[in-house]
Amino acid sequence: MEKIISALHGLGVEQYVITERHTDSLEAFYVKKSLDLTRRADTTVRTVQVFRPFEKDGQKMLGDSEVTLRPGMSDGEIRAALEGAWFAAQFVANPWYPLPAGVQEPFRADEGGFGGKPLAESMKVMTQALFAADTAQDVFLNSAEVFMRRNVTRIVTSQGADVRWEQYDVWGEYVCQCPAPQDVETYHQFNYRQPETEVLTADVAHALEMTRARAQAVKAPATGTYALVLDREQMAELLSYYVSRSNSAMIYQKYSPFRLGDPVQGESVSGDALTMGLRATAPYTGFGAPMADRPLLEKGVLRTIHGGARFGHYLGVEPTGNYRAVTVPTGDAPLEALTAEPCLYAVSFSDFQMDPLSGHFGGELRLGFLYENGTVTPVTGGSVNGSILDGQGHMTFSKERFRVMNYDGPLAVRIEGVQVAGV
Amino acid sequence: MKVQPSAFIQEKRPLLLRLRDALCAEFSYASVLAEDTVGKNYRVSRHSVSVGEGDTARGFVVKALDKGRYAEYSFNELTEDAIPDVVDAVKKLLEQDVRPAGLTANTYAPPPEEPTVFSGATDYETDPASMSDGDILARLTALRDKGLAMDGAVLDLIAQMTWQRYTKLFLSREKDMTQSVMFTTGAVAAAAMQDQQVKQSYVPCSGLGGMELMGAMEENVAPCVQTVLDLLHSESMIPGEYECICSPETTGMIVHEAFGHGVEMDMFVKDRAQAPQYLGKYVASPLVTMHDGACSADQTATYFFDDEGVLAHDTVIIDKGVLKTGISDLQSALTLGTEPTGNGRRESFARKAYTRMTNTWFEPGTDKLEDMIASVKYGMYLECPSSGMEDPKNWGIQCMVNIAREIRDGKLTGRIFSPVVLTGYVPDLLKSITAMSDRAELSGTGFCGKGHKEWVKVSDGGPCIKATIRLG
Repeated sequence: MEKIISALHGLGVEQYVITERHTDSLEAFYVKKSLDLTRRADTTVRTVQVFRPFEKDGQKMLGDSEVTLRPGMSDGEIRAALEGAWFAAQFVANPWYPLPAGVQEPFRADEGGFGGKPLAESMKVMTQALFAADTAQDVFLNSAEVFMRRNVTRIVTSQGADVRWEQYDVWGEYVCQCPAPQDVETYHQFNYRQPETEVLTADVAHALEMTRARAQAVKAPATGTYALVLDREQMAELLSYYVSRSNSAMIYQKYSPFRLGDPVQGESVSGDALTMGLRATAPYTGFGAPMADRPLLEKGVLRTIHGGARFGHYLGVEPTGNYRAVTVPTGDAPLEALTAEPCLYAVSFSDFQMDPLSGHFGGELRLGFLYENGTVTPVTGGSVNGSILDGQGHMTFSKERFRVMNYDGPLAVRIEGVQVAGV
Repeated sequence: MKVQPSAFIQEKRPLLLRLRDALCAEFSYASVLAEDTVGKNYRVSRHSVSVGEGDTARGFVVKALDKGRYAEYSFNELTEDAIPDVVDAVKKLLEQDVRPAGLTANTYAPPPEEPTVFSGATDYETDPASMSDGDILARLTALRDKGLAMDGAVLDLIAQMTWQRYTKLFLSREKDMTQSVMFTTGAVAAAAMQDQQVKQSYVPCSGLGGMELMGAMEENVAPCVQTVLDLLHSESMIPGEYECICSPETTGMIVHEAFGHGVEMDMFVKDRAQAPQYLGKYVASPLVTMHDGACSADQTATYFFDDEGVLAHDTVIIDKGVLKTGISDLQSALTLGTEPTGNGRRESFARKAYTRMTNTWFEPGTDKLEDMIASVKYGMYLECPSSGMEDPKNWGIQCMVNIAREIRDGKLTGRIFSPVVLTGYVPDLLKSITAMSDRAELSGTGFCGKGHKEWVKVSDGGPCIKATIRLG
């Protein structure tokens, strides 16, 4: 670190952010219940972002450029890399903005359930939880990957930051297979900062059950307009619309019309008014400033514009850092109430996507349940193509809760009037 | 000119040879892959300019087999003194049992190896180092300004360019292989606002080589802006089954997402693909011949050998409608008793190798595009694909395209629908192909994931195809 700072000073660089990340990752790859490969990745990467003030056409500018410094680079290579970034920054003609001040704090160890434990020990615990529900003959885990990681990040900036913290997490994916009456599979991911063994086992059990249901589904829903019920991972994707559109870069560049205090859920909300919070998933921003949880929406009204230093300054709002996780209060309706009236309960998609620019959401339906005339029919195939701009005024959230790394909120939502292309 | 090998890899080579020897003395099979990837990306929009490095990586991964079990260790610092530590780390991984009770472990024989010494490099015309960052940004800025000046309704015009150059060294008991490759990608993208919706268009370009690609970008600005202006008048898709003409890039997405993932043979190993049941059978129209291979085309996924030291192939997957074979990494080939096809690829040295596509495409046919459009009574011309998702087990299709242009009585009417989701059953779609245009085009600006991760550079494409497709 000292070598890098010295080289920066030698080049006359007065403003910089140095980020160092050490990752130790233990990885296991399973085919059925058999370990196929064990991996470990032990890497350190340092990135240096340099900021160069200059004037262009009488206007104050601040250019920046980032370079990665690898272990084993010679002094000459480091200097050349930094020189390259410093040179490039003079052409990056963005209007000037101040860099946020950072803090100096002692090392923050991860004091969660994985903290201080060998990765192999935690790996065994989480793998046990992953396979715990895999007990049936007719539906089972086809394959799985488990990554147990310890990251240590340090940020040092010219604006006074020197912080270092540790974070453990487990993440991975698994595929469920049900060979009869038709051979089908479903794909799932998980990611936890704590040893959430019960949550993982319950999620796998649910996934296996849904895969069994998919094996029974043979026909696509009829083409038409439906009340749509979405749940679990689709909730985080659906509501990412509000996170994206309230980002300062999106707003400043006019990709988003959101303004503080605006009723961004629409003027007329007949369903549940949406309240959302931004949850910090790291203790510090990229500039080494403390990062806190913040309100995003209160009853459909925008309370925070979030994002980095540059666009925050242009808009005259506080730079908050970048958020990836949200919290949403659960609703009042039990899940059964969401399906009490006719609807398509879409459980699984090939790849459910929300386009925050257009507000369109959808994807190919891999499993849904059609609730109509007092019957429940599993369906598969066809596609959902909805618009949150059309549906956001009449959403109903479940009182049941769902929790993953980037989302903690209602398990499900019902949206009226969504277009489905089926048979 | 040939791409020059990385000085870092050349300097580390003696050390890596000693590491290879130390590993081979300890384990029944061992390999070392060293990677040095450098690059830069440039982006100019109405309100922002950036210069960054893109996806760079420098490091090593060793793979070892002991008592039938494989382990890998990725790291990015290597000194002479550290060689015994690397060997010990691999030993520990092989000895360490990360399985809870009740789970077993697969065992393998060492892969058969032919003695191979190889050194190769791709060509380029204009070295990125010969242009200053200022020159490149100035040219991109000119493209942006040209696009913004075309119509006041244009909210933004983004011009971006990325080059990447890598050297890889693969060593095992029998192999000593080095390759250096450079590719460049670029794009212009336009945005315009319709009510609260931002409409976007995107025209990519890509190829092996260096900054000579920049010349191709200027001609893309006007069609990109025109498309986004057209999109301002787009309507919601009316769900149904349509006669469709797919642009080459839409064909590419169907080739890649709908069929390519289904013939990745690590999926065969896991019983995650339908394709093995259809080997030797018709899965597509007899008009369809499909290739994948790092040496099947000159595009962004071209290389000489894969990340497991297997020489690149040109694999004919579908020959005149009949499924002939899949594509494979080394470990899957060992399990299946087949030949690896040079498709073992890693996101970087820090990640596992999987079976991955490279340049994946349909051969062209003999039809003229104008005749194909004229043959449609009522249908859609599909262009600007944005994303897709594989379903190898059930051969379902999910492809998102940005534009469907209405065709009525053999003519484009000017009516546009957006966005559009393509769905259906892969063999039904491929068997419904009744015409293929006489020119194939490949595009390599995108990345391909395995599930939702492990991003690698790929290219895909083909001719325009005429097929029956369900749209929603």
